[in-house]
Amino acid sequence: MVSFIAGLLDATVQAATVLLLAGMGELISERAGVLNLGVEGMMLVGALGGFITTVLTGSHWLGFGVGILLGMVLALVHAFLCITLKSNQVISGVMLTLLGTGLTTFFGSGWVEESISGFPQITFPLVGQYLVGIPVIGEALFRSTATDYLALGLLVVVWYFLYHSNLGLEMIAVGEDPEMADTMGVSVFRLRYLAVLIGGGFAGAAGAHLSLAFSQLWVPGMTAGRGWIAVALVIFAQWRPRRMLVGAYLFGLLDALRIRSQSISLTLGPDAPLAGVINPIVEFLMTPQIMGTYPYLATIIVLVYAVIRTKSDQLAVPSALLQSYSRETD
Amino acid sequence: MSEDTTLRMEGILKEFPGVVANDHVDLSVERGEIHGLLGENGAGKSTLMKILYGLYSQDDGEIYLDGERLDLGSPQDAIDAGIGMVHQHFMLIPRLTVAENVVLGEREPAPAFRSDAADSWLPAAVRNNSLVQSLAGQFSLGLDVPEQRIQDLADQYGFDIDVSAKIWELDVGQQQRVEILKALYRDVDLLILDEPTAVLTPTEAERLFDSLERLTDEGLSIIFITHKLTEVDAIVDRVTVLREGQNVGTAEVSSVSRADLAEMMVGREVLFDIDREAVDLGEPVLRAREVEATDNRNIEALSGIDLTVRQGEIVGIAGVSGNGQKELAEVMAGIRDVTAGELVVNGEDITGAKPKTFVDSGVSFVPEDRLQYGCAEDLSVMHNATMKDFRDGRFGDRPFLDYGELREYAETLVEEFDVRGVSDVTETKAGDLSGGNLQKLILAREIYRNPDLLIANQPTRGVDVGAIEFIRETLLEQRKAGTGIILLSEDLDEIFDLSDRILVVYEGEFVYETTPAEADRERIGLEMTGGGETAASPVKSGATQGSES
Repeated sequence: MVSFIAGLLDATVQAATVLLLAGMGELISERAGVLNLGVEGMMLVGALGGFITTVLTGSHWLGFGVGILLGMVLALVHAFLCITLKSNQVISGVMLTLLGTGLTTFFGSGWVEESISGFPQITFPLVGQYLVGIPVIGEALFRSTATDYLALGLLVVVWYFLYHSNLGLEMIAVGEDPEMADTMGVSVFRLRYLAVLIGGGFAGAAGAHLSLAFSQLWVPGMTAGRGWIAVALVIFAQWRPRRMLVGAYLFGLLDALRIRSQSISLTLGPDAPLAGVINPIVEFLMTPQIMGTYPYLATIIVLVYAVIRTKSDQLAVPSALLQSYSRETD
Repeated sequence: MSEDTTLRMEGILKEFPGVVANDHVDLSVERGEIHGLLGENGAGKSTLMKILYGLYSQDDGEIYLDGERLDLGSPQDAIDAGIGMVHQHFMLIPRLTVAENVVLGEREPAPAFRSDAADSWLPAAVRNNSLVQSLAGQFSLGLDVPEQRIQDLADQYGFDIDVSAKIWELDVGQQQRVEILKALYRDVDLLILDEPTAVLTPTEAERLFDSLERLTDEGLSIIFITHKLTEVDAIVDRVTVLREGQNVGTAEVSSVSRADLAEMMVGREVLFDIDREAVDLGEPVLRAREVEATDNRNIEALSGIDLTVRQGEIVGIAGVSGNGQKELAEVMAGIRDVTAGELVVNGEDITGAKPKTFVDSGVSFVPEDRLQYGCAEDLSVMHNATMKDFRDGRFGDRPFLDYGELREYAETLVEEFDVRGVSDVTETKAGDLSGGNLQKLILAREIYRNPDLLIANQPTRGVDVGAIEFIRETLLEQRKAGTGIILLSEDLDEIFDLSDRILVVYEGEFVYETTPAEADRERIGLEMTGGGETAASPVKSGATQGSES
């Protein structure tokens, strides 16, 4: 049992990192007013690009960098379409997800057999060697890949950037009311490009983490909807970095549980009262496909809760999300 | 050219597709004056000011500030030149604090990185390095020093503002003062105010005027955009009038009369007195008995309203805003449910029926909020013009619609009601029309169907003199055609000029009834504010007895 929980926690951390990285990127992009539904595609491109680079050069760090870069390239397309050409953000995003999926399936088919030495599990620098001995949680938290630690570090950076820097304040302003920001001398165009590119970089990093640290192999379509969960995660977190940490680990746990659901038996013994009624329900709820919907269900619950609890003008969604901006069209 | 001239705009030309918004406009503003910019909606005032603020770039013409030629590529350039602007719709982010809104774009670094910091742990050489300054300006944010400065400015001009409050916590007047603080924080010499009183109550407007006078005492120059002649009299030193994108003249306010200014604005003589012919009253079109209703927060807003309106009669309802007028109008139009009482339209009891039943019974409604309830902003003029009638079979055989017919109908409305700014009824969106023209479109839609009952709530609020005149005349014409009209207005003059009968509403009840001929304004004012209970209310047939005991 202890080893099961330790393994589950370990998988939770790994899965949470994917969501955390992709979610932070989405958060920044949306905070500036640009919805990016291309995360899934950007993650796949990052995953394949990072994987191929690592196979060819043997350096997983170089692979990670290439993954980020490719995510940004795809994001640049999104930025050009949505910010410069002012086309519909939803259409552009979905199109990029389909494009990323198609491209990586085609170009990635020859790389399925390859193997790499990706990010190794390392103990946390300095204090890790003492803490790793803590029962159950020690291994999971203090022996992980470098990207797991990096994601947590970046979360602090993102939080600081958004709330304690001028650029962050300007980015929030651009996402709330681009016209207002413009009248204050803030360049809406530049900040939105910046936010979308950062978002794409994070999505690419999430993909590269997936192929280089999480599974250490390439399978077409390996993101398996995690990009969409990242979009849901931003809503779940109500566009706030700190809540995103909680959400990412919660969704990560659900993901880890889903993969292991076959080996968990929560059914009651045949003699227990009501076993005939409860067991089929529990079995149904533990089906991997059903478990895959839990992050979305949780997001819906959070949305409903947020709408009931707060007045609509205090909802956390950036007011200018999905709105393109140009000066002379009002 | 006087040496006191601070701003000169020369030959400004700005064209939008199909429209010349500014046709070689000249404008000069003197130091320390409040310069009025007067014109109808759509005369090009806002466009001219957006050019001055760097939001639009002019197609031709030049701008000089204190003798220097300005090349304004963005609002930042205007801010750098010392120009500030308070926009008609507030440019504030409700979710952020006052201080955050004010400093946005100023790149205030963390205290340690301020070049003027007294006790920073960083050596001055590092702090003053331009790269360090740029990085600190981007990646850090210090609000303590700016907050103090904003507070000092607020104190200096007598603004009661809590700098750490969120914008949504402030009332409209306070929000406007934050807008002014935004400009003052940037040390502007020239402040543009775009219709600043449109959102203010009269008391708040008074306060604003006091503040503006204080600002000009300090040497600021102010451009004050308005279409209200009373404001020009109250506060402006010199006034420039724009009409259809052209400058029709600049004058000292003390040397021109209100009628002159109105004529300059509209291009013809404006009738401040309206001829109201006698019309014989017909059958009652509306009989409301003991109507009660609640407002959006479920608090009782109407407590027992009796109202009868006859054919050819305009019933004016006067009252201080928030005494149930909105609910009254909505109940009569069928879009708000009554909690008690009955509504009889043309002899038929339609209490509790769907809004469509009201529409089909010949009820038309001009709502108070044109953009939110009066139209679908993003739909075309054609869609908006036909919104109430497209189902009635005139426009092709159901379930199909003949768009040619719809378009023709919309074009007729646009023409007959003089709706300007429509280049193509199927292309121009209703939301792109200026306030007065949108109001004319809504009025056209509601009146062209020959209603038996018309409810007009604040039909002339926020529209310019020309449109006001047109709207009032249209209402009178409709009265002659036999429509019963309920007119709700906060403008007492309007009520007096148009109504056959005046009712005063106070806290959801009619407390006083009179006619324009017999009315005593002082009495009406008292009744509106609840101060008339001691006097006996005259009671007329078919009307109400609502005075409280």
